[in-house]
Amino acid sequence: MLRYLTKRVVLLIGIVFVISVGSFYLIHLLPGNPATVILGFGATPEAKAVLYKQLGLSKPIYLQYFVWLGNILHGNLGISFISQTTVASVIRSALPIDLEIIGISQVMAFAAAIPIAMRSARKPDGTLDRFLGAGSFTLLSIPPYILIVVLVYFVSLKWGVSATGPSAYVSGGSFFTNLESFSLPAITLATGSFVIYYRVLRSDLISTLQEEFITMARSKGLSQRRIMWRHAFRPSSVALLGAASVNIGGLIAAGFIVQYLLQIPGLGYTLILAINSSDFLVVQGIVLTVSVLVVAINFFFDFVINIVDPRISRE
Amino acid sequence: MSDDNLLVVKDLTTTFKTSGGDLTAVNHVSFDLARNETLGIVGESGSGKTVLSRTIMGLQPRINTTVSGSSILDGFQVVGASEDDKRSIWGTEVAMVFQDPMTSLNPVMKIGKQIDEALRVRLGMNRQDAKARAIELLELVGIPSPVQRYSAYPGQLSGGMRQRVVIAIALACSPKLLMADEPTTGLDVTIQAQILNLLDELKERLKMSVILVTHDLGVVATRTSRIVVMYAGRVVETGTTRDVFYHHRMPYTRALLESSPKVSNKSHTRLVTIPGRPPNLLNLSPGCSFAPRCKYATDRCHSERPELQPSIEAGHSFACWNPLPVNAEATLP
Amino acid sequence: MSSYSPENLSLAESVLMGVKEEPGEPLGLFFWICVGWVGLNIFGAIFANVLPLQNPLYGNFNLINAAPSLHHLFGTDDLGRDIFARVVYGARVSITVGLGSILIGYGIGAPLGMLAAYRRGRFDAILTGFMYLLLAFPAIIATIAILSFWSPRSLFKIIVVIGIASIPLVYRVIRTATLSVATKDYVIAAKVQGATDRRILMKELLPNIAPIALSFFLIGVATIIILEGALAFLGLSVNPPTPSWGNMINEARGVLSQNPWLALFPSLALCFFLIALNFIGDRIRAHFDVTEVKL
Repeated sequence: MLRYLTKRVVLLIGIVFVISVGSFYLIHLLPGNPATVILGFGATPEAKAVLYKQLGLSKPIYLQYFVWLGNILHGNLGISFISQTTVASVIRSALPIDLEIIGISQVMAFAAAIPIAMRSARKPDGTLDRFLGAGSFTLLSIPPYILIVVLVYFVSLKWGVSATGPSAYVSGGSFFTNLESFSLPAITLATGSFVIYYRVLRSDLISTLQEEFITMARSKGLSQRRIMWRHAFRPSSVALLGAASVNIGGLIAAGFIVQYLLQIPGLGYTLILAINSSDFLVVQGIVLTVSVLVVAINFFFDFVINIVDPRISRE
Repeated sequence: MSDDNLLVVKDLTTTFKTSGGDLTAVNHVSFDLARNETLGIVGESGSGKTVLSRTIMGLQPRINTTVSGSSILDGFQVVGASEDDKRSIWGTEVAMVFQDPMTSLNPVMKIGKQIDEALRVRLGMNRQDAKARAIELLELVGIPSPVQRYSAYPGQLSGGMRQRVVIAIALACSPKLLMADEPTTGLDVTIQAQILNLLDELKERLKMSVILVTHDLGVVATRTSRIVVMYAGRVVETGTTRDVFYHHRMPYTRALLESSPKVSNKSHTRLVTIPGRPPNLLNLSPGCSFAPRCKYATDRCHSERPELQPSIEAGHSFACWNPLPVNAEATLP
Repeated sequence: MSSYSPENLSLAESVLMGVKEEPGEPLGLFFWICVGWVGLNIFGAIFANVLPLQNPLYGNFNLINAAPSLHHLFGTDDLGRDIFARVVYGARVSITVGLGSILIGYGIGAPLGMLAAYRRGRFDAILTGFMYLLLAFPAIIATIAILSFWSPRSLFKIIVVIGIASIPLVYRVIRTATLSVATKDYVIAAKVQGATDRRILMKELLPNIAPIALSFFLIGVATIIILEGALAFLGLSVNPPTPSWGNMINEARGVLSQNPWLALFPSLALCFFLIALNFIGDRIRAHFDVTEVKL
């Protein structure tokens, strides 16, 4: 087990490393000069050149990368060209927002998907099941940005609940003060996640319920509820956890759009602004953070799957 | 028969709704089972014996399945009972031993816990008592080092051990009836005898009735007092073991007996088989279901279904228009 | 696992365990409705020029944000342009991007995936490692970054960028599908019989992965169309005044209270098209997946 874990950690560090190299080159190959952004269009070419050198951008790219890498290993992510604050602090204020929104959305999605999937699996092709099958399919096809527009229309305009605008978000505010403002994006992300989790869990539960050990559990006189939770759920949850792993990774990307639309200053919003203003170090820092996050999530879920179904690591 | 019977099955019929039409897997089956008796239900694959064993205790699938007739277990009518009511007899009055212990045990749960579960949920034992009793049960079924094995996963045990665990679980709440559905079919031949002997022992000690469902006549030969022979969902012969083996009347029974290989046969003896295949239950003929494969079939056999009629010996009946003569014999396998 | 496989069971036992006997589920009426809808959209996109539509670029300033009427079936937008015509023309962008990009992905990713799965060995190991690395990279970010800077933007550039981004994904799906088929006995049997590689690829592998490939193709188109919409929201899709479903919805956000129609109709068009594509893709997979166990 320990060997398995260390192998995974090494592999994942390797991936993050390669990604950082890739994104570094990508960003630097793009046209766009931070000097122009900082000094404005009216600046003289000489002033720009001086600033360029000052920012360390005149060195060859691979050298820049090693400088960056060295700084990283000392915990220094660099300074944002635009805001002149450390990249680390930019990320520090943006990241919790992402985590909170995604966290809330996932809690909602799971809390809904698990019991409803169980209900459906117990009575496949019943009215609930059919309705949800068609409904979930429809929801699956609605992109989150449209959902946002719809929700904004109804919630904000028709019902007068205000939930947008950057001033509504206090970065560094407590979990609860932001709860209300985050409900809209969280619900949007939760909807898509719910659909995926529901479908995966339902189909897996149905096939697990057909296995012989379930009949045996039945013959022991155990209640349906116990059979569902103690016997059927555990093997079926493997596929669910796998789906969660992939989905949450994707949510980070989908979350960007939602954040941008609602002007929530999370990582996605900040990233897009940074790209547009050629703020290299911020972009690099955020890409690194996102990669580490995605990789860590995969790792976490792999670990949990292993606990749930020990057969996997034994093979 | 008398009301001292543990189980009275009458006209039990199980029908499945399939995409190809209605399939009657169990067709008006009737028999009785006394207390402390071992009954054998014998038939090929597709004879309906597995479905019968489940229907008797109400364990048939819940979806697309209809059951009619009656199955009264110690006064409790299983047919038509609600799932909740049935649950009250499962484990405590009747328990089942399944064929393949690898698939009937929960692969990701320790076996000790699987036994505990029955004790704690059904008998209300607390954790320590349940554990102690579980270890006792493991000893009872002949598992060495029961304390260590208690924390093992099914995958870590051999086939024979796993089946013993299944038996232990079945016995946990001291049921009056043990339904054993092909309990040894998936196991090595050497283990088979062990398991069957174990079942015999336990039956004596715990004063249970046992129903042994199998296709293997060797299994039922010495261990059962009565036998029910099934074909295509119906009972075609039933009687004491001795009568069925020595005084059978239905040609199918003869064919079954003949097709079991015998140790006493000379080497290179051709294996006797029954020609043809089991019938398609979706498309049953109006006559005797065995007629297409029967050496002795007459026209009447093809067009009219024979009902069970009594033979000479008490409690022995068969369903055939052209039965074997009364004194025909076959040797015990 | 259990020793039960369809051949070993009798009919009754099969029923008891719920194993299916006949090949896949029937496609159903709704399936054909979806096919019809997709066809209709494609038809509209191709023949938009010759259909009796209003001019999608002409804005009637006397009639901005109008509600649907006989003259303007879907109403007008905030510049007085006919929404119906714009929606029909908008299909062009979505469909072209969806199809074009996925074709690039399949054109390169599919043959590579099949070959790698069939050949195995070093070629497979290196290529797959490379592809998986590409997959780990957050593609959305790269797409956004590239499109932000590669000006002036055009439909062609969008298709190329998204297309290249889809190659690793197609590669993985096709490779996985081919792997599961290539290890089956009948392929090995064909090899032993001396069939050439090309013959095996065409006769044995291709027909068997075709359903999955087709299904994923359709789902890929749907996903890319969603992606194009997202890019439009970031201002990275085709430039106005060219209509696309994505940028119409984006524009609608600004005038949501005055003109809900501008948001409604392109959204409906987009969603219905996506639902139809997803449904067709899903049905095809279910229809051909004979081994799926159904209750």
